[in-house]
Amino acid sequence: MGKATKPIPNSLRMEKEMDYILDFEELNKNSLQVVGGKNASLGEMISAGIRVPPGFAVTTDSYFHFITDTGIKDTIFTILSGLSVDDVESINSASAEVQDLINNVSMSSDVCAAIEEGYAWLCKKCDLKKVPVAVRSSATAEDLPTASFAGQQDTYLWIEGTDQVMRSVQQCWASLFTPRAISYRIKNDFPHEKVLISVGVQKMVNSRTAGVMFTVNPTDGDPSKVVIEGSWGLGETVVSGSVNPDKFVVDKVVIEISEKTISTKHIQCVYDPDKGKVVNVDVEPDMQSQCCMEDYEMKELVKIAKEIEKHYGCAMDIEWAIDKDFSFPESVFIVQARPETVWSQRKKESVIGKKSGYQLLMERAMKRIKIS
Amino acid sequence: MAEEKAARFPDPHEFQVPSELEGWEEMYPSHYLFSKERGEWESQQFWYLDKIHAPEPMPPLDLIFQEAWQISLSQYTTRVFCIPPAQGIAQRMVGPYMYICAIAPPPEEVIGEKAQRFEKRVFYVFEHYDELWDKWLTKFKALGKEMEAIEVPQELPKFVPEDQVLPAPTGCYVSYDILENFNNLVNQMFKGWQYHFEMLNLTYLAYLMFGDVCRKLFPGISESAIGKMVAGAYVSMFRPEEELCQLSRLAVSMNGVANILKGEGGADQKIAALEKSEDGRKWLEAFDKAKDPWFYVSCGSGWFHYEGSWINNLDIPYSYIKSYVERLENGETIERSLDEVNKERDETVAKYRELIQSDEDRDAFNNAYNTVRTIYRYAEDHLFWVEHWFHTIWFAKVREFGRLLVDNNIINEVDDIFMFNRYEIPELLTEMATGWALGVDIPVRGDYYKAKAEKRKKILKAANEWNPSPALGVPPEEVAEPFTVMLWGVTTDKVREWPQGVGEVRPEDVSEIKGFASSAGIVEGPARVLKLVKEIVDLKEGEVMVCPTTNPSWAPVFTKIKAAITDIGGLTSHAAIVCREYGLPAVTGTGVATSIIKNGDIIKVDGDTGVVTIVKRAN
Repeated sequence: MGKATKPIPNSLRMEKEMDYILDFEELNKNSLQVVGGKNASLGEMISAGIRVPPGFAVTTDSYFHFITDTGIKDTIFTILSGLSVDDVESINSASAEVQDLINNVSMSSDVCAAIEEGYAWLCKKCDLKKVPVAVRSSATAEDLPTASFAGQQDTYLWIEGTDQVMRSVQQCWASLFTPRAISYRIKNDFPHEKVLISVGVQKMVNSRTAGVMFTVNPTDGDPSKVVIEGSWGLGETVVSGSVNPDKFVVDKVVIEISEKTISTKHIQCVYDPDKGKVVNVDVEPDMQSQCCMEDYEMKELVKIAKEIEKHYGCAMDIEWAIDKDFSFPESVFIVQARPETVWSQRKKESVIGKKSGYQLLMERAMKRIKIS
Repeated sequence: MAEEKAARFPDPHEFQVPSELEGWEEMYPSHYLFSKERGEWESQQFWYLDKIHAPEPMPPLDLIFQEAWQISLSQYTTRVFCIPPAQGIAQRMVGPYMYICAIAPPPEEVIGEKAQRFEKRVFYVFEHYDELWDKWLTKFKALGKEMEAIEVPQELPKFVPEDQVLPAPTGCYVSYDILENFNNLVNQMFKGWQYHFEMLNLTYLAYLMFGDVCRKLFPGISESAIGKMVAGAYVSMFRPEEELCQLSRLAVSMNGVANILKGEGGADQKIAALEKSEDGRKWLEAFDKAKDPWFYVSCGSGWFHYEGSWINNLDIPYSYIKSYVERLENGETIERSLDEVNKERDETVAKYRELIQSDEDRDAFNNAYNTVRTIYRYAEDHLFWVEHWFHTIWFAKVREFGRLLVDNNIINEVDDIFMFNRYEIPELLTEMATGWALGVDIPVRGDYYKAKAEKRKKILKAANEWNPSPALGVPPEEVAEPFTVMLWGVTTDKVREWPQGVGEVRPEDVSEIKGFASSAGIVEGPARVLKLVKEIVDLKEGEVMVCPTTNPSWAPVFTKIKAAITDIGGLTSHAAIVCREYGLPAVTGTGVATSIIKNGDIIKVDGDTGVVTIVKRAN
């Protein structure tokens, strides 16, 4: 997909022709340079047979052509040149100036056409006039090496119509120049000119329940557990920590639920058609202490979590959502997956050591169990 | 901390037994009573109610099994295999209930000495387990046959038979034989229990070791998952049920046999009807072939004389066969596929192994697993042979002595012999023999013994209504004794939860109880409390069974119930294993379920979290 192709300037890429937009289905983990980590990961999951809402990536090439064709490129890098990492005030004002520039300039025509075409394609695919989408920035690895920066970039939920989509894409691009991102690059001697960003445009899940899950227990590193946290509505409340989610710890092998904590979930994030945006609203009183998912949904999530972990070969941190418009199991979607940062980066050291059965037996024989 | 808790459990010497139980002390040997001479030591220990072996008031003669295990279990730990920091388990009676105590570790130098011996002594057992098991079974079967062969005279003869006097006097007669034979019977029971623990302590130790390894690799792994990996499929304890299934299949394949077995009426009627046809006789032949040893299985735990055994209550196996035949004719499956069980277990092990991150850990896991699998069969096999087969023979033999005592006017009923402990019975037998020896028309003290038996029966009955404190004395700082941890599930949390149970609040005010989440799933239904094993007959389809503990002779019951709750038993207990196999939720080891839940209460069993909620009390 994506009609407009143009040669990429040699300064950035070697002689390869690129697309402005790419269907998630065309992506895989090798697409990271072009579509950023988040988008590449979605493509990778689709190719592994995981249910991911459809969408497309606005490539780094789009971004590059946008700043080039609109003529703002030189202005941006001039504003950013000569900043000192200690001069917070200058960084703040440079950031505001650059973001302003990106947000307010008119989109270059060929990039604009490509995004328009992509959105129309998605509407058609979903059989909707104006499919609501989530627009998210997707960073390339050379800029932001760890997931600790992940929350830095923007996410715009429930975006409808070409104009809004275009606007959100520009805002995502602008998020490349938050004060924090600017000072990070200065500190690490990374030229602002070499930084690229991609944006993902993905069909919104009309979620009844959503949240996150880990394929390792983050509290004790137990690799035999999937830990699921979920709450009513969109997953934002769980990701941002604005509700105490329900928590389930499930064994991957025997599929036993070893922990089930039902919290009082006061608020949920939902789309408000009158306001035309997502808002946090109070949860109906009788729903607050009700478990946000059925056991069969939990088991489906565990099954998917295991597949994703197996596919990536490491412990994963996964965002999921259960759509109220579909029937189970088509209702269960994965919207994001990335390597879990704490346990998966730990060295795979032996916890028991090289021991024979007899040595282990002797050890146990010597053991006493503290009672008080 | 310890002092705070100590205040919450009564001192064993001050603990009050209800007045209706007055006179209970004389039912048991004096070394079973809390006493002044040992008072200081006793007050410092932690004693808890043993609901596994003594869930019900203890008939005096049935205490023999407890007496035998106190010695045998303890000696294997302290003096034979020398598990370094572990000491034995002591027992005491308070009223007709038994309390036990895992004794605190010995001084450091003793631990060191034991460690050296342990290393030297235990590994042989693991290396030669199969060979040792064959030898064990051979000698154990021989012991059972020896017990079965003990002669108890049908009657005391008016004059000793001619052939015992001519051509020459034998020199020794029935008055002596009776006493010698009873002593032999007691000795054989003690010997059987010496054998019982021959490899059991090491088996439990190996199990705990594997559990440790699993928890290091998977900190949140459940006991039930560990149990699943270790449990065997082809174990003796499942044989009685398998034999019933096979007999049911045979019946269905024969002419007219299934119809007879499906009919109403008891075993006697059915046997009579079967004897009339050729196929019927063939089927009976198959039944007789299976029954020794496989129907020498207690209807309860094997620990109490009144539980009965299939072999003496053929109505029970026949009623199980009836329902199996009906299910077969409906096209249902009745057997668990043992190959399937085995396969599932191997897959579970493989899946956990796959999750292990480092090669060294994977090797250690394999080593631990192979070690426990080598020996674990013992835990599953010995049970049938000792508690079921051997005890069945014992009870039958004791009843022969009981019959003789009844015939000679010493006691009223055969089973009254169980109202006297093993030290007292020789007195009864001696009085009987003396009366016989003295000549004709010699009065015996029958009325005295009969009154004693009556009084004791009343005490035991009254004790059923009494819920004694779940523990006495001071909670210990640490426990090293493998049985305490494995069998009774004594852990920090457990001890903390106990005082919240019976004693402080009235049972009817409790609406939630906790136990081990032994088998996953959530159901709600009416409760059926089976405090006494014979109450099984009251159980209706779809009820939730609430009982002190279960054992393999209950197996057919599990096809009827919705869920199971037990007072005692961890995640490897019988109820836990069977419920997992049948996919029924189970909460085990609640400590108090049978005293809090009443028949007909609507209860919710959450086998995922181990919580039982009383939704609605029965009127």
